[in-house]
Amino acid sequence: MATQEEKIEETLREILSGSVDSSVDLASSTNFVSDLGLESIQVLEFVMEVEEHFDIAIDMESLSDVLTIGQLAKVVAELVKD
Amino acid sequence: MDKVDLLDKFGKISANRDQLSAVGRDPTSIVIDRIISPTEAIIDGKPTILVGTNNYLGLTFDPECVAAGQSALAEAGTGTTGSRMANGSYAPHLALERELADFYDVPHAMVFSTGYAANLGTLAALVNTGDVVVMDADAHASLYDGCRMSGGSVYRFRHNDMTSLGNRLRRLAEKASRTLIVVEGLYSVLGDRAPLREIVALKREFGAHLLVDEAHSLGIYGEHGRGVCEELGVMEDVDFIVGTFSKSLGATGGFCASRHDVLPLFRYASRPYIFTASGNPSVIATTRAALRQISARPQLRQKLHDNAERLYRGLEAMGLRLGADVSPVIAVRFEQSEDAARTWERLLEAGIYTNLFVPPATPDGSSLLRCSVSAAHSEEQIDTILQRFREIIEPAKSRAAGS
Repeated sequence: MATQEEKIEETLREILSGSVDSSVDLASSTNFVSDLGLESIQVLEFVMEVEEHFDIAIDMESLSDVLTIGQLAKVVAELVKD
Repeated sequence: MDKVDLLDKFGKISANRDQLSAVGRDPTSIVIDRIISPTEAIIDGKPTILVGTNNYLGLTFDPECVAAGQSALAEAGTGTTGSRMANGSYAPHLALERELADFYDVPHAMVFSTGYAANLGTLAALVNTGDVVVMDADAHASLYDGCRMSGGSVYRFRHNDMTSLGNRLRRLAEKASRTLIVVEGLYSVLGDRAPLREIVALKREFGAHLLVDEAHSLGIYGEHGRGVCEELGVMEDVDFIVGTFSKSLGATGGFCASRHDVLPLFRYASRPYIFTASGNPSVIATTRAALRQISARPQLRQKLHDNAERLYRGLEAMGLRLGADVSPVIAVRFEQSEDAARTWERLLEAGIYTNLFVPPATPDGSSLLRCSVSAAHSEEQIDTILQRFREIIEPAKSRAAGS
């Protein structure tokens, strides 16, 4: 059975697939900048969509170390749990 | 694994810079050989009309401001050589603070050495660990940096989007009472204004506080020139107004004005205030003279808005894509950054200086030329600017249509 984090990752991939090249394989380790070539503005726009989807607020400090889909899923999982 | 050297990071910066200059003139290395007036300079040996200076009221050569600066230079010397905390304030620093407070009709104002320091210093004093900032996504870098310095948690909301702001505040729940909403009056890249009435309604609903940066709107909006807060009738509901002396006042320095009695205590809690040299006497003197001009000459505001309207309508008539609001900041938008860069360079060759903005410096990833209008522009200068735009844009449009 998928863990909560895996489910969140799946949702993140769905949200992200709307704005990136569909030929790119989106994995847990996919890096927003080096793999997907997203500009920082695009990353933050994506994060806002994620916040709206889960009805959470992610502060900028929590994002400072987030580079991959898996890392973002962890941050989201913490907030959804609260 | 290869060891990373401290200096390696500059390789990427150097590559980006080279890429920028490879397409033509590097927009970050413009040299003004000689400045002639608020609206004219010699650039590359050529007389050039300046429409990218933020010199909104054209006060940099105002005779009263120049005389005030010269007199202060002669009487009080070239610099203060220290901070106000350690070396003492000069009486004119305090006089300027009193005059700013009176100008905004609030009890307190505090002067900083630059606009950047004002934003850093205000946020660092006001917000601490455990506090929350909810900030417009398009806010200026100095506001972001101030937030970082403050230690507070920072959440962004979509630019001027009240649903996004409302959702943020709702999600913060009981933390809303220790939340500071941070917005700008007039946004400096696209020239649009904050919907302050709606923002104030949300602030009240959730019990938050509000800081408005009027850097680009001081002296430009409102009956007394106080800014967008005055224009939209929300002065009473704004907790802190920050701004700069470096645009409409034609000097350097910044300030925070507030109706809250805690503001004077910021002096003890604001590192960017404490650990920096105070404003030079001549700079403080020209700032005070310029502030008096804002109150004494409301016709400057009228002229500025007339000029902005003339330039905006003229550019609009050429079918160019502009920012939504007519304001002294007029953004001419382009789909491709190469088109923006080419147009910027051709305008410069034709004697018109604008500001080029390409990603990541633009709020929405688009490319644009920013024109900032001045009250000192003559109608003839505005018409010349329009004529040069037409000469450059129209052949490019017909080439694009023909291809």
